[in-house]
Amino acid sequence: MATVLPPAPLNRPRTLMVGTAFITSAALMFFGCLFSIYFSIRSDTMAWGMEWFPENAIELVPGGMNMATLSISVATMGWAVYAVKNDDRVHAYLALILTSLMGVAMINQTVFYYMDIGLPIDHSEAALLLYVITGAHLVMVGIGVIWLGLLLLRAFGGQDTSRHRDLVSAVSIYWYSTVFIYIFIWLFIYIGK
Amino acid sequence: MKNESTVVERIVTTTESGTLSRYWMVSALVGLLFSSVAGLLVSLERIDLSSASIFSTADDVFQFWTAHRVALVLIAVLPLMVGLATAIVPRQVGASRLVFPKMSAFSFWVWLFGALIIITGFLANGGVGTPEATSETQSVALTLVGVLLTIIGLCGASTSVLTTIVAGRVSGISLLNIPAFSWSVLVAGTMWLATLPVLAANTVLVYVDMRGRAPVNFGGEAVVWEQLSWAFTHPQVYLWVLPLLGIVAEIVSAAFKNKMSNPLLFTAIGLTGFAGFGAYAQTYFDIGTPVFEESFSIIQAFIAIPAVLLVVAFISPKIKDVKGFDKQTTIPTVLATLSIVLLLHGVVVGAVHVIGPLELATKSTVSAQIVLTLGAGVLAGMAAFSWWGELLIGKSISQRKILISGLIFHFGVGIFAVADFLVGFTGQNDFTGVSEFAAGTDNSSWVETLNIISFIGSLLILLGVIAAIATSVQNALSKTPASGNPWGADTLEWESKEKEEVA
Repeated sequence: MATVLPPAPLNRPRTLMVGTAFITSAALMFFGCLFSIYFSIRSDTMAWGMEWFPENAIELVPGGMNMATLSISVATMGWAVYAVKNDDRVHAYLALILTSLMGVAMINQTVFYYMDIGLPIDHSEAALLLYVITGAHLVMVGIGVIWLGLLLLRAFGGQDTSRHRDLVSAVSIYWYSTVFIYIFIWLFIYIGK
Repeated sequence: MKNESTVVERIVTTTESGTLSRYWMVSALVGLLFSSVAGLLVSLERIDLSSASIFSTADDVFQFWTAHRVALVLIAVLPLMVGLATAIVPRQVGASRLVFPKMSAFSFWVWLFGALIIITGFLANGGVGTPEATSETQSVALTLVGVLLTIIGLCGASTSVLTTIVAGRVSGISLLNIPAFSWSVLVAGTMWLATLPVLAANTVLVYVDMRGRAPVNFGGEAVVWEQLSWAFTHPQVYLWVLPLLGIVAEIVSAAFKNKMSNPLLFTAIGLTGFAGFGAYAQTYFDIGTPVFEESFSIIQAFIAIPAVLLVVAFISPKIKDVKGFDKQTTIPTVLATLSIVLLLHGVVVGAVHVIGPLELATKSTVSAQIVLTLGAGVLAGMAAFSWWGELLIGKSISQRKILISGLIFHFGVGIFAVADFLVGFTGQNDFTGVSEFAAGTDNSSWVETLNIISFIGSLLILLGVIAAIATSVQNALSKTPASGNPWGADTLEWESKEKEEVA
């Protein structure tokens, strides 16, 4: 009796992942520029002995909660990639929904954080840079949530299988970079002030 | 089944790389025309430095002066390069099409919308601000939105082309064996994606600070240009025209029937890409210490190293094989050679203008360097059209008319650059305003003569652009079919053309 061999793995270029990697690199450069300006202006301001953020303007807790939320989302995103790779559709749905919820929670917490900080955007260069950097990051998270939502729709349509897992891997690259950028925001803006 | 889509629907919804390429290039020519007219008016104003001649205030001059540069980069040279890459790269790497055709189409329309907004913003007394802050704030904000949209469009189109090279090329071709043009696009596109978002970040910061309230710092109309100007000057301009090295290498290689040394050439292109990275050179955030300024100049002068490598890569295989020159390729070879000559002059002027004791960093020499480098890019675009034109439009093209346009443009750039380079030594500022004090020099006969020569150069540049547009229109209307591979070149894009014809 002839042995039936499993089908050969699909050998096709992972164009979506490559494209996402390029776009994500561009996003990193965008934030790299904003951070460079932030540090440059902050350094000049401190050198003149002037105050950067007003005392107690930025509480640590909301920023830390955001970091915790996004850290958990890294795990759920990895879970989604693993589940799709193994054709585990139920767990893939669950992981993608959880990741999206983490993103929505992060946006919600950031809005709360803005209200808690309470500085008007034209208070100082520090306030302006704070809102531009965190606002741009918020937009990035929003795009990630929308992308995850579209992914879920595709998943419900049965398109995210182990043979078509590029889209999940691509969104994971984007999501990890979003978290990576937030680490800098958390460390250098919210904690380092 | 009958296809019921209208002409407009077909134009707007096309994802075919050849058609998109033509859209990019036609739009780039229009952008080049806008930029050249703005440059000509500024040159005319500079003839008499002591007073306003055709503009009423220094701020008016400033708007056209900045419009010339912004349009030259974002609406002319970059889309020209992207357009060429969109059509040629997929064919060269054996891909049947761009890997993200819909994104490419979307990117073009976003870019076009942005380009129109930029032009509108400049014409509505906006632009990128003015020194005396007499521009309309709303129009400046509008222009900034246009800049952002063009950046998004250019990044999207670049991503599609880059992904086609990296993940969409036919199996069996390593990255080190792709044609020189595709390699140059790979390096340039990667570096564009590293620098255009930086410009976007600057623009967003300015925009947010400008809207709705008194600016804190960044959104002041008098300082907008200072924050964005790094993208339109040395060394960043080398990066915008980087694919010209690939264009020239392809043409010269085929003309001499001699493949160049890929490692040397690819290294030179790669180094030029790195040396051309100018996002760090943001003088607005310069802390101003002598050490910083010294290192800044030294880093900028390093652009000369890849240029020397490049010359070696181009010349070394040619000397012994000069008898192998194919006379049929004379016109594209002449245009390609002239473009590399302009670029090398730009490199030399760029290296000279950062020498501290000469104090040329803010003088007219800057303008000479920019026009030489970006002019080299435009001329390379003409050489590329001469070389790949039949592939691009599917018709036979008039080589002689392209040569005439290219020569007029080349002499225009040369004359303009020589005059601006020399007048820089008299102390004439890059932006001259409408008084001798603002110009940084007196209106002596020597200065006036050089400025008249510079104006003649601008005029020739404009004539060259108009001739190129007329030639393009005539070629587009031509009914003579393309002749296949007119040069006997051995790169893959010509093969795919033949396959298409068979199909």
